[in-house]
Amino acid sequence: MLSYEFTEEQDMFRQNLREYLQKKVAPHLPKMEEKQEVQPEIIKAMADFELFGPCVTEEYGGPGMDMVMAGIIGEELGRNDPTASTAVFYLVDASWSHVFCRYGKEEAKKEILPDVCKGKKYCGIATTESDVGSDLANMKMTIKKEADHYIVNGDKNYISGLREAKQMGGGHVTLARQDLAAGARGMTLFFLPIKDNPGVTITTDRELGREGMSTGGFNCNKVKVPLKYLIGEENKGFYIVHEGYELARGIIACVCVGAAMKSLENGMAYIKQRKAFGSPIGKYEAIQFQLAEDYTKLCMVRDWAYKALHYYTKEAREGAKIRMQVSKYIAMAKLYAPLWAFDAINHSMQWQGAFGYTWECPDVKAFRAIRSFTLAEGSTEIMHLIIARELLGKEFIAYK
Amino acid sequence: MRIAVCVKQVPDTTEVKVDPKTGTLIREGVPSIINPFDQYAVEEAVRLRDAAGGGEIVAISMGPPQARTVLIHSLALGADRGILLCDRGFAGADTWATALSLSMAIKKLGEFDMVLCGMQAIDGDTAQVGPEMAQLLGIPQITYVDKVEIDGKKVVARKTVDEGYEMLEARMPVLLTFMTPSDFVPTNPPFSKISKAQKKPLETWGVKEVDGDPEKLGLKGSFTTVTKVYSPMKREKAVMLEGGTDELAKKLADILAKEGFF
Repeated sequence: MLSYEFTEEQDMFRQNLREYLQKKVAPHLPKMEEKQEVQPEIIKAMADFELFGPCVTEEYGGPGMDMVMAGIIGEELGRNDPTASTAVFYLVDASWSHVFCRYGKEEAKKEILPDVCKGKKYCGIATTESDVGSDLANMKMTIKKEADHYIVNGDKNYISGLREAKQMGGGHVTLARQDLAAGARGMTLFFLPIKDNPGVTITTDRELGREGMSTGGFNCNKVKVPLKYLIGEENKGFYIVHEGYELARGIIACVCVGAAMKSLENGMAYIKQRKAFGSPIGKYEAIQFQLAEDYTKLCMVRDWAYKALHYYTKEAREGAKIRMQVSKYIAMAKLYAPLWAFDAINHSMQWQGAFGYTWECPDVKAFRAIRSFTLAEGSTEIMHLIIARELLGKEFIAYK
Repeated sequence: MRIAVCVKQVPDTTEVKVDPKTGTLIREGVPSIINPFDQYAVEEAVRLRDAAGGGEIVAISMGPPQARTVLIHSLALGADRGILLCDRGFAGADTWATALSLSMAIKKLGEFDMVLCGMQAIDGDTAQVGPEMAQLLGIPQITYVDKVEIDGKKVVARKTVDEGYEMLEARMPVLLTFMTPSDFVPTNPPFSKISKAQKKPLETWGVKEVDGDPEKLGLKGSFTTVTKVYSPMKREKAVMLEGGTDELAKKLADILAKEGFF
């Protein structure tokens, strides 16, 4: 497949979603930025349009969308909200509710997922620790099985959505070490409720951007977790967690493209009318060359992202044996989407002169937000390693 | 309650630009949408069907194959069945031939309590097809409606006129053309409704299916042709006349005579 072609259903969905977001979400964005919190009106509007838990099956209250649709939602949210706060709120929820739906226990799925899909509970991810990012196998948080529950001890940091989970209810899909001697083979994935959970203490960080969405850390001090919240099998969590990362990475690539394309549109509107030396600055080649290159790159990475999500859907739903294709294309899209989006937004700001350096310029918000995506859900450095691994073979992995 | 709704796929005229050399519309690359007045008609049909306790809504569109998207959209909004009139024999139709094609399809589909249309299409702006259909179907019509309710076997409709509104009643079957109220916000159907719409019946009919006479449909059946579409010339200046009625009339007549109008 050279290029991914959207279906009629997907095109129609996108058109309706774009209009809906402009009508129902965009008017509340100024208040979100002022309060630095995704507003209840926004959450309700997104829930009413079935945007939460997009890949959760109908059995658990979800719309049962495929991953391409999940990417479309990400792209349109990236366009609609330059701070990317709503996009982050969405993509974390989308990716980890998907994993929960695939591997969670029946009782827990029925308890948690319908409310996630209605926007009444949050579903986040917690793997990062202050000393552990890319090398997950070295994390310190532990989970220990007792008679009829687990006991969790440790800290997580740089986690999105803790305030949201605390306010709304829900929690975070969390990875911790169970078999301490087994490294990556001894890690367990589980759902950790955040709200009203004794022993869970939350802190917040102040990030450069994405100001509507909280980021922070939490400490677990002998926190009890019911057995029903196990996701997958004990000590097999390391292998499942990558499914959530891959969906998140594909969606992030789409978010970056949406934000950057919107930024280029803003820039184009400006350069068509702004005159210098007697001509609109859009006539000058220095600007045209940047525009042409940025647009071309964004189209390429957009194609990779949707192709990757299409392959991922085939693998997840049809059992297609295309692991290498999924892994490679998602890593390719996640590697370059944030970098090329950042360049495009930066150029758009440059074209707009001094205004492009003010807080009023929407592209400045996108600039601060997109910068996070070279790190979130897998750094650009790790994406390089994944692509090289798929090309050279696992025996060439440098860090084991 | 059985309702037929006519919908049309039109270019999004908010994004249409005019060719500065020819003065005609540049349609290439312009996204297509459901005619906004037709969307309101569909949403009203759904409301009226549900208020009546059930029934069937058939959405009908005449156009090229890609016009099926407005039928899918109508199905997603709540219509039950879609009919796409798509055939070379329908092509090139003026408003009369269009109205004839749609009316023949409606007759073929059986008895309806109401036929709903948007008041006009935003690309043609003729507002002729609805009234022509009423004539061809032999049913009463109320145009420029923004509110309607059912009262037994009749409808009570609010019609917009220059001076305000008229409240009119008509026995069903009746044809209504809708204008959108100022507070109308078109519904965007979510994924689940679009997905379900894909499974509802949607058929493509040609001239044969409507028992049509090819000589009376499409370009052959059209009494009018559009020879040119252009934007009015932009006037550089305006002359403001002042005075009483008689004085104004004389001044205007003098100008028109001088400009060679008579």
